[in-house]
Amino acid sequence: MARYDRAITVFSPDGHLFQVEYALEAVRKGNAAVGVRGTDTIVLAVEKKSTPKLQDSRSVRKIVNLDDHIALACAGLKADARVLINRARIECQSHKLTIEDPVTVEYITRYIAGLQQKYTQSGGVRPFGLSTLIIGFDPHTGVPSLYQTDPSGTFSAWKANATGRNSNSIREFLEKNYKETSGHETVKLAIRALLEVVESGGKNIEVAVMTKEHGLRQLEEAEIDDVVADIEAEKAAAEAAKKAPSTKET
Amino acid sequence: MESVFGLVGKDFAIVAADTSAVHSILVHKTNEDKIMILDSHKLMGASGETGDRAQFTEYIQKNVALYQFRNGIPLTTAAAANFTRGELATALRKNPYMVNIILAGYDKETGPSLYYIDYIASLHKLDKAAFGYGSYFALSMMDRHYRRDMTVEEAIELVDKCILEIRSRLVIAPPNFVIKIVDKDGAREYAWRESIKDAPVAAA
Amino acid sequence: MSIFEYNGSALVAMVGKNCFAIASDWRLGVQLQTIATDFQKIYRIHDKLFLGLAGLATDAQTLYQRLVFRHKLYQLREERDMKPETFASLVSAVLYEKRFGPYFTQPVIAGLSDGDKPFICTMDSIGAKELAKDFVVAGTASESLYGACESMFKPDMEPEELFETISQALLSSVDRDCLSGWGGHVYLVTPTEVTERILKGRMD
Repeated sequence: MARYDRAITVFSPDGHLFQVEYALEAVRKGNAAVGVRGTDTIVLAVEKKSTPKLQDSRSVRKIVNLDDHIALACAGLKADARVLINRARIECQSHKLTIEDPVTVEYITRYIAGLQQKYTQSGGVRPFGLSTLIIGFDPHTGVPSLYQTDPSGTFSAWKANATGRNSNSIREFLEKNYKETSGHETVKLAIRALLEVVESGGKNIEVAVMTKEHGLRQLEEAEIDDVVADIEAEKAAAEAAKKAPSTKET
Repeated sequence: MESVFGLVGKDFAIVAADTSAVHSILVHKTNEDKIMILDSHKLMGASGETGDRAQFTEYIQKNVALYQFRNGIPLTTAAAANFTRGELATALRKNPYMVNIILAGYDKETGPSLYYIDYIASLHKLDKAAFGYGSYFALSMMDRHYRRDMTVEEAIELVDKCILEIRSRLVIAPPNFVIKIVDKDGAREYAWRESIKDAPVAAA
Repeated sequence: MSIFEYNGSALVAMVGKNCFAIASDWRLGVQLQTIATDFQKIYRIHDKLFLGLAGLATDAQTLYQRLVFRHKLYQLREERDMKPETFASLVSAVLYEKRFGPYFTQPVIAGLSDGDKPFICTMDSIGAKELAKDFVVAGTASESLYGACESMFKPDMEPEELFETISQALLSSVDRDCLSGWGGHVYLVTPTEVTERILKGRMD
């Protein structure tokens, strides 16, 4: 019997770490998450699993602050996320205590990815079933950035990206429709991308907007509904325009 | 020599501190801010060993911030005071921090409050408190003139009386003081009381 | 100066007929400087068990927090309150844990045991129990308290007389001690009720 997937620190003969691949699978089954980087705004949007009638939907937050200027959204195992988030938050404060300066987005991403990597190479542990999107403005230069990490511990910077369920179709959408945007346009692009795979409505998505001046702000359900309605209207208009090519006015 | 003191007014608390950084017979600096704004509604006035003071107050500040990120709500002033005491008490039998702390804060539920925490980690909630050589004058001044229902103007007048007394009666009186306030609108700097400025650097 | 005399305190407990009383002063000082005159030194563990902590205030606070923690765990596991005898053993064990770096505090334990039999006891700072049938004293005013109690105490006093006796003993003793005073705090405990009384004394 093959034992390559029993201990995670053991390679299979063809060079795979099965546990890490299973973790990636957990991410693929997790909720979709989208991140879009604008010039003055960065937006995170995640899919919300339909909440039971009696549950307080605000008690399940998938977009969280790591520090005043950094936020994180993730796809995968929520329980693992809490551990990772806690460790990252401690690092943010600890960094400030020792270096005076707040962490950069790249630094905290590298820290989180490093932590995830550790859990693929040490004994008696399993990898984090998590892929994260990390956004923030660099505290020194004010440059906006968006990073992604995955269970293997690799990380990369993006203009816009998605992870979780159906992330491939979202990414395709973003590749086709990405434009350098700012302000409200960035929010719209992120929500539009997520709507590719999620039923429309503010109940099913969670959106947070970060600006350099005001930090992270979670959008209210009503605000999301407004944007969604906007998008639907635009879509309908485009559809109509396609069906009936512009009739000249007489 | 070092003087840190504070008092609770009608709906606010004030902390004042000297701003001299002294080492043996030398005054290194006369604009050293010894009152940290711990979070939006807390002030931490600290006296003691310079290094310990800087390190310890920052350590507390970062932990208070971490708590807020983890739990989504800030610590109450009482909780922050007890946390600070706990940290000082644990350190006391290992590698003690030489810091005396006056912690003032404003909470929606309980209003303004002020805590006395000395370097050996005795904690007590007070209406008025003072540390250092200035305490001999500040405490008697406050004993005579303090009222629980003071307005900001009256309280500042009292703080100024204390500063005047320290400046005129203490042999080694510090020249400059900073006054900070915390009320429902948050913690902020109120004023400086400077009798000397740092000498300007001669142009090269 | 002994570390036990740093903050100043006076503590006394007396046994009456099916009742007991425990009393303390209110002062918190740092050597000769008075910081506060509302510092509680007697803590209620449960309705029939009281703990007084004399000595270094910071250690009293730390010790109290640890004892409350241990007593709470006991309550949760056993679903009952601790007997005074058991609690005394717990305090003793917790103190002796720190045999070579003690808490600089002297506890006084007073409670009603099985069948509402009064129990009083004191300890040194490393947990050597000292049980007594009549009265126990602790703190910077302990010498004068011994004298006062020795001359005023009578066996089997009724609650009201016991209250009068312990109050007079406390107030006359703290007047002969610079480090304690500013009024008194008395708990009078009978099988049916707990009476708390605040005493005015020489407020200087």
